[in-house]
Amino acid sequence: MQPILTINLTTGETGKYLVPQEWEKDFLGGASLAARILYDTLTAALNPLEPESPLLFMTGPLTGTSGPTTGRFVICGKSPATGLWAESNMGGFWGPELRAAGYDGLWITGKATAPVYIWVEDNRLEVKKAAHLWGTNTYSAQDKIKEEVGVKSARVCVIGQAGEKQVLFASIMCDHGRMAGRTGMGAVMGSKNLKAIAVHGESEIPIFNLPKYKSLRSEANRKLRDDNEAKVIREVGTGGAANYAEYLGAMPVKYYSSGVFPDVDSISGAKMTDTILTGRSACQGCVIACGRVVKLPKDSTKRKGPEHETMVGFGANLLNNNLEAIVDLGELCDRYGMDTISASNTIGLAFHLYERGIITKEDTGGIELNWGDVDAIEKLVRLTGSREGIGDLLAQGSKRFGAHFGAEDEAVQVNGLEVAYHDPRGVSGMALSYATSPRGACHNQSDYFFVDWGHSLEEIGIEFLDRHAQAEKAANVAKHQDWRTVDNSVVWCIFANVAAGDKAALINAACGLDWSVEDMMKFGERGWNLKRAINNRMGLNRSNDKLPKALLTPSPDGGSEGFVPDLEGMLYAYYEARGWDQETGKPTKEKLTELGLEDVAKDLWG
Amino acid sequence: MTAIFPSAEWLKGLEEKLNTDERYSEIAKNWEGDLFFYIEPEGNLKEQLTFYLDLWHGKCRKVDYKPSPETYPNPVFTLTASYDNITAVLTGKLNPMTAMMTSKLKVRGSMGYMMRNVPTVLDFVRCAQEVTKEIM
Repeated sequence: MQPILTINLTTGETGKYLVPQEWEKDFLGGASLAARILYDTLTAALNPLEPESPLLFMTGPLTGTSGPTTGRFVICGKSPATGLWAESNMGGFWGPELRAAGYDGLWITGKATAPVYIWVEDNRLEVKKAAHLWGTNTYSAQDKIKEEVGVKSARVCVIGQAGEKQVLFASIMCDHGRMAGRTGMGAVMGSKNLKAIAVHGESEIPIFNLPKYKSLRSEANRKLRDDNEAKVIREVGTGGAANYAEYLGAMPVKYYSSGVFPDVDSISGAKMTDTILTGRSACQGCVIACGRVVKLPKDSTKRKGPEHETMVGFGANLLNNNLEAIVDLGELCDRYGMDTISASNTIGLAFHLYERGIITKEDTGGIELNWGDVDAIEKLVRLTGSREGIGDLLAQGSKRFGAHFGAEDEAVQVNGLEVAYHDPRGVSGMALSYATSPRGACHNQSDYFFVDWGHSLEEIGIEFLDRHAQAEKAANVAKHQDWRTVDNSVVWCIFANVAAGDKAALINAACGLDWSVEDMMKFGERGWNLKRAINNRMGLNRSNDKLPKALLTPSPDGGSEGFVPDLEGMLYAYYEARGWDQETGKPTKEKLTELGLEDVAKDLWG
Repeated sequence: MTAIFPSAEWLKGLEEKLNTDERYSEIAKNWEGDLFFYIEPEGNLKEQLTFYLDLWHGKCRKVDYKPSPETYPNPVFTLTASYDNITAVLTGKLNPMTAMMTSKLKVRGSMGYMMRNVPTVLDFVRCAQEVTKEIM
């Protein structure tokens, strides 16, 4: 593989890190390889916002190869929100551009004395002053940087004001609204005084067996174009399943206190398609094109339309049925550079506490928080992004916000990461996905809701079980997490419904491997266990595998009325399936050794 | 009325069921769209089979057994499945959403409309299952 470019922003020292050859096969790329590389660095004592904290931008072996949805890359480190493993991937074109510049990753440490941005053009790296860009939003900063470097086709990863001010759920953006939203990687970037990273390259991206790969990718893309799920996402975006999710009682409404939103159709992807959609956007080489381009009646500007999480987070979650307002709120978060899930969740908590009288107008700076009040929501978004007034508390996420008012248990989060918008009372597999994800309550480490909606994966032994089944689906969730660990290493989009055999064949052709599907799943299991071990070393134990109170309260209404996941029973079965110690929640010595992680086993068990 | 799938009697039985079932009538009251089914030969089915159903506001306005595609050139939805997969759905062995999400049931038409109306789709399948006495 190509080297990883390193830079210490404190000293200005740069270098090329060559990945040990044995790691290339065992950890491949993306998040798994990042976990292996950062394993020694990520300690309990490390402050994620101090200069020594690493920020590793990693591509995967298929990034930029025009395979099915392979335009992605991942950003890894230690999360300031959770104090645990951080991983957030995004699409767009930045990852492919970095590979075309001759690097498979960019490893940043240190802190610049004043705001800077990094400019990588082929084999040349330059650190440029960015004081004049500090305070600019994510879109205008990209434009200005492209103008300054004089390369229109350069791609820019950038933070907004939220990252500069170290909002704990600050995101990193590239292109037209492609986001690494979760785990606060934008805050880590801001803590380094790093505004942006612009890249441009013109080299060929290396592929082991190009003729074979071309033939395989052509067939895989053909199948993907014809896939029902891909058709849904292309036609109506990720918000296309809104009506179905609400029907199942799996859509969180009014801060997870209800499963019924009669106005669901007004915020659905189908509604957006019927009313304001003017086009679609795609990441590099993607045949799905999930991105929405919309135009609002108020002007002629083409804007990014929201995806499912933003639509529910600023919609049903806050009892807001105004789709145009959701577009604006999503864009506002994008411009500040904030994760819409964590932002809308934390704002939802503020509304929830206000309704209960736990916070008042005195706390909010005079803003009344009445459900569905778009003006109030917008004010809180702005205050959060700029860390002013109550926004300074909101910027710390729901766990800390709730704790400040003596109501931490009201916060719908796991280990400091806000729960995404798939209620485990409607799709029970998400109970385990949220409770055991290495980065907190994340839906992308295992989007098991797809399986609970009906998407079985027979090729890897994941059959469809009832959406309210409990411990009996624990082994399936573990397999699904391994499956997604493969995706997050390649780095593949989870919307690519590509058969396991086809995925293995593509990896083999690109990397010169001879993996079977079983080998590929074993690789996924290795990566999952490594991330778990990293978290164990940073203090995570079984007591961290939990769900918030709201999700352990029976669903009050709707398609899942009365249901609550039996988390303890599910966890017991999950640890059994995983080969993890029931008492500590650590992978056993035997499991780690079986996966070839002997050094990790020694660290955890002596 | 129940009948053996995939006979003409079965399709007539389904038409009758859809026009008399109160639950379906309520759930599907907003549905507007005709369906053209292709059932691909497999197992006991030796030749491709076609069905047509015109569904409108909770009722079935028309069915046609073994129609030529030219007779209905622009159906709102065209659905294609193998005989084994369609019979698995009708006998409850294959979840209809699984059939769609894994493309065992291929769909051509507005996916947005389909996703907006999943309850109607699921209740249509319930009616079809209740009409199915046995499989050929």
